[in-house]
Amino acid sequence: MNVVHIERLTKVYGSGHTAVAALRDATLTVDRGELTAIVGPSGSGKTTLLTAIAGVIDPTSGRISIGANCVYDEGWKVRDLRRFRREHLGFIFQSHNLVPFLTARENVLIALQINGTRGSRAVGIASQLLDYLGVGERANHLPEELSGGEQQRVAIARALANSPPVILADEPTAALDTERGQSVMALFRRIAREKGSAVICVTHDRRMIEGFDRIYHVQDGRVSSGDSKTER
Amino acid sequence: MNLAIRDLRQHWGRFSLSCFGVGLLLTLVLSYGGIYNGFVADALALIGSSGTDLWVVQKDTRGPFAEQSRLPDDARDRIAVVPGVSVTSPYIFYTVQRPWHGRMLRFVVVGYDLGTGMGGPARVVAGRGIVQAHYEMVADQKLGLRVGDTVPLGLHEYIVVGLTRGMVGSGGDPAVFFSYQDAEEIQFVKDNWAIRNGRQRALAAYTHALPTQPVLAPGLSRRFADNPELHSVNAVLVRLAPGAEPAKVAASINRWEYYTAYTTEEQSQLMLTGPVTLAKRQTGLFRVLLTIITTVIIAQIIYTMTLEKLKPIALLKLIGAPNGLIIGLVLQQSLALGLIGYMIALVLGNLTYDKWPRRVIVGPPDQLALLALVLGICVFASLVGVRRALRVEAGAALTG
Repeated sequence: MNVVHIERLTKVYGSGHTAVAALRDATLTVDRGELTAIVGPSGSGKTTLLTAIAGVIDPTSGRISIGANCVYDEGWKVRDLRRFRREHLGFIFQSHNLVPFLTARENVLIALQINGTRGSRAVGIASQLLDYLGVGERANHLPEELSGGEQQRVAIARALANSPPVILADEPTAALDTERGQSVMALFRRIAREKGSAVICVTHDRRMIEGFDRIYHVQDGRVSSGDSKTER
Repeated sequence: MNLAIRDLRQHWGRFSLSCFGVGLLLTLVLSYGGIYNGFVADALALIGSSGTDLWVVQKDTRGPFAEQSRLPDDARDRIAVVPGVSVTSPYIFYTVQRPWHGRMLRFVVVGYDLGTGMGGPARVVAGRGIVQAHYEMVADQKLGLRVGDTVPLGLHEYIVVGLTRGMVGSGGDPAVFFSYQDAEEIQFVKDNWAIRNGRQRALAAYTHALPTQPVLAPGLSRRFADNPELHSVNAVLVRLAPGAEPAKVAASINRWEYYTAYTTEEQSQLMLTGPVTLAKRQTGLFRVLLTIITTVIIAQIIYTMTLEKLKPIALLKLIGAPNGLIIGLVLQQSLALGLIGYMIALVLGNLTYDKWPRRVIVGPPDQLALLALVLGICVFASLVGVRRALRVEAGAALTG
């Protein structure tokens, strides 16, 4: 069942003779519970694709559907986009991107709080997620007191907090060594299987794409057909 | 979960320092209001404690505080017979500065009639009031004298028999009370050399005039102490008979006597519209400038704090935080800065006002007004930070 459907997506930066097409007629689909990789060299347009899915940049043309929602619906305002993001998307970045003045637990709690889950229920969910990702004992530490791997796990816990149908990960292993990177990828596979979320992971590190269900290649803004690597 | 507090927890040292700086500025804003209140209180202290209904001064002057006024002390007898007048009392007021034990004593001499007590010290906080007509004085604590100290003034020494608190002239100089006879003597009696010199000049003038002006001869035999010039006062205080209207009696004195009479209310207004008005403008200007400076500094601090949080703010937007959460983060920090600074200002002020050179009077209305001002400043100052925070794109979290 498609949870993400992107059709003929084009993004052009600038205009006239300075126009640069970051994406050209990109089309792809991602199923629920599927682990999808978007790979390509630097500057190929994969991060543009991810930010477009995230509702952060307006595409020049094309259509993005997540679940029953059409992102960039003309009637949507900024607050509609934010509501859509907090309900449907989880984010994981290369540089972990935790709020530096919040502890690990609070970083997860803030995502829950923003989505309206508060009090002991929110604390329970946060603790459960941190335990699930193996950083429960570090819950009261600030990001600067955590290792890179621990920070990434906390970021994953935050991304999972509201049980979004789609998780977007941008170079999640770039700041980690190979062992920790593979550990994070294993975690993504586990999340996709157990939580049922579709995980879309942008990476240029080909070593990390073992075990992905589907792989899209991006080159000069064009997206090749997704190779389904694993039967599920 | 309060993001503002969580963020401040990370930078508490720098934030505390900022709060202290803002607190010092707010102390100044508050104290300038208090200084103005002090000006008003100082200007009205002697008027308020005089227990008088009318102030009779030299014709067309605004004496005795705002302007010099001189009238003979027997004017009290002329005014005493004006209908509606119950009691009259002479009043002397002038400033002296004399060396005393290696330091300079600057004070206002207040001479009053011990019989009526009008214009005398309203409340003695140590020692006693003046009970004999000569050589006793009651000084305000601010002068730094103690009961039993003696101060040479003119030809005599005067002993401090009592102390008052908060009795000062309009310039903030402490008041020292004397019998009006002593006050006249301190002001007008000259030393021996000056007396001899004056006598010789008078004798020469009279001797020269005698052949043609024999009527002046009695002047030669008059004792110097009898010279009517020595018996001047600055005002005559009037207490009215029950039922008498101050304005009507004042009008009567103004019409029939060669004097000018002010009601106590008018005398107060003379002070408030005269010397105090300038002080009000000056302190008001300082307050406005300090308020602007405080606003700019708070805005600068909040803006800098916001700039340091742009990445987390972008992240919060990316994960769906509504604008209210972002605005709340900036606004709460601004309010925290202002309110902590306000508390510091209150504490610092209360601990130090007694030590300021001039009287500083800060009451609950001033404190509440400052609180309202601080809240306004904080909201206004946070606008720059809020504007910057709202302009951050969620995508900034992705682009690193």
